[in-house]
Amino acid sequence: MSRPERLIDDNGRRVDGRRPDELRPIKMEVGVLDKSDGSAYVEFGGTKVIAAVFGPREAHPRHLALPDRAILNCRYHMTSFSVEERKPLGMTRREIELSKVIREALETVTFLEEFPRAAIDVYVEVIQADGGTRTAGLTAASLALADAGMPMADLIAAVAVGKVDGQLVLDLCDLEDKYGEADMPVAMAPRFNSIIMLQLNGRMSVEEFKRSLALAQKGISEIYHLQREALKKKFSELAPKEA
Amino acid sequence: MRGELGMPVYFTEHEIVVPGQLLSDNGKRSGEGTYAYAGKIYAARIGFASIRGNKVVVTPFKTAYKPAPGDWVVGIVSDVKPNGFEIDLGRHLKGVIRMPDREEVMSAGLNVGDVVYVRIKESGLSGVAIDKRSRIRRIESGILIQIHPAKVPRLIGRRGSMINMIKRITGCDIIVGKNGLIVINGPSPEAEFAAVKAIKMIEEEAHTSGLTERIEKLLRGLIGEG
Repeated sequence: MSRPERLIDDNGRRVDGRRPDELRPIKMEVGVLDKSDGSAYVEFGGTKVIAAVFGPREAHPRHLALPDRAILNCRYHMTSFSVEERKPLGMTRREIELSKVIREALETVTFLEEFPRAAIDVYVEVIQADGGTRTAGLTAASLALADAGMPMADLIAAVAVGKVDGQLVLDLCDLEDKYGEADMPVAMAPRFNSIIMLQLNGRMSVEEFKRSLALAQKGISEIYHLQREALKKKFSELAPKEA
Repeated sequence: MRGELGMPVYFTEHEIVVPGQLLSDNGKRSGEGTYAYAGKIYAARIGFASIRGNKVVVTPFKTAYKPAPGDWVVGIVSDVKPNGFEIDLGRHLKGVIRMPDREEVMSAGLNVGDVVYVRIKESGLSGVAIDKRSRIRRIESGILIQIHPAKVPRLIGRRGSMINMIKRITGCDIIVGKNGLIVINGPSPEAEFAAVKAIKMIEEEAHTSGLTERIEKLLRGLIGEG
């Protein structure tokens, strides 16, 4: 898509009609895949992501196994049909980097020491990309880990904030990401208000950065709420029906 | 809400909790499935929160088996080495039986692929060791099935009530490993099939109440009155 003339109109509305501090419509579902130990589907507007967790299982190759904790493997991958121009098969440099970023974020909340010598595999598959795939992926991956019964200190909720036409906006879509001035994905463990991942592409003043972070926190608390709802929904369905 | 522990708790009995949920203000009472941080208890995994003894615990819906000394488990011999055996305990775990010398390994009469019922001696940084003083029982025949280890306590039931009922009605000999591997040995294929069906049903409906009665009905229906 080409650059729209303006990313924010006279009424302060964004290209998709949202207010600056509004999230896209979010959909979350836990336990969508039967063959994995845990899975989740997350949708942020046009961004659609599936995450699956396998394990703990034996670490391969064996020499990578650690005697005191499990290793966490993560693969972030975009399907070839997820973007406008077909993405060639295989892992690009960007996907390898994001796999690492997501892995390191997940490692901070997971109690890996519970499973010495084992491996936990996390697969994040982007079905459709419309900006904010790493944050949606991380949100989905933490849900999938929780669904797999993995011991964790907290869930991870993530969202991007950015600067578009000089204004700070929450949850960038693809157009805003491409043509905006700055893009800042933030992931947090909301229970302890700790920042787990923060990247910044573009320029922001210190004051703008502080406001962006506050905006991200607001979005994250909404996402966190939805995550908990999604988890509880799945397990209350399958759990105690008084027979 | 003020709990039985004489401290504030932030959950109702058997509430479904998610990782990171605040459960109590007394960090000293942190039990299985929870963790303490800055003097407070939080849930570490998704499950039912409850108070057991004087601890706050979360009973998980799913969890990987964690070996504890004294557990009886079912395993498959996966390797024979000069100084012992390697036992596959399902999923991610491997146990070892250490033998002092080659001769004892030879005389143990175990081969790759054999199914054994053994006791865990210790589990730690050096891996899972299997007790060889208590008998290593080689299982000659039967159906080997696997259920989620988190469901094993429900399968056994209170003082073995559930598993004993299945054994009684079907007439099967059932060996349940804490790791979720189960061997069923019955008088007829029908009886074995009924036992497998009951166990699968328990795995799926572990949290529902009145399960024992429904299992009994299912078994009676499959076996017929007799």
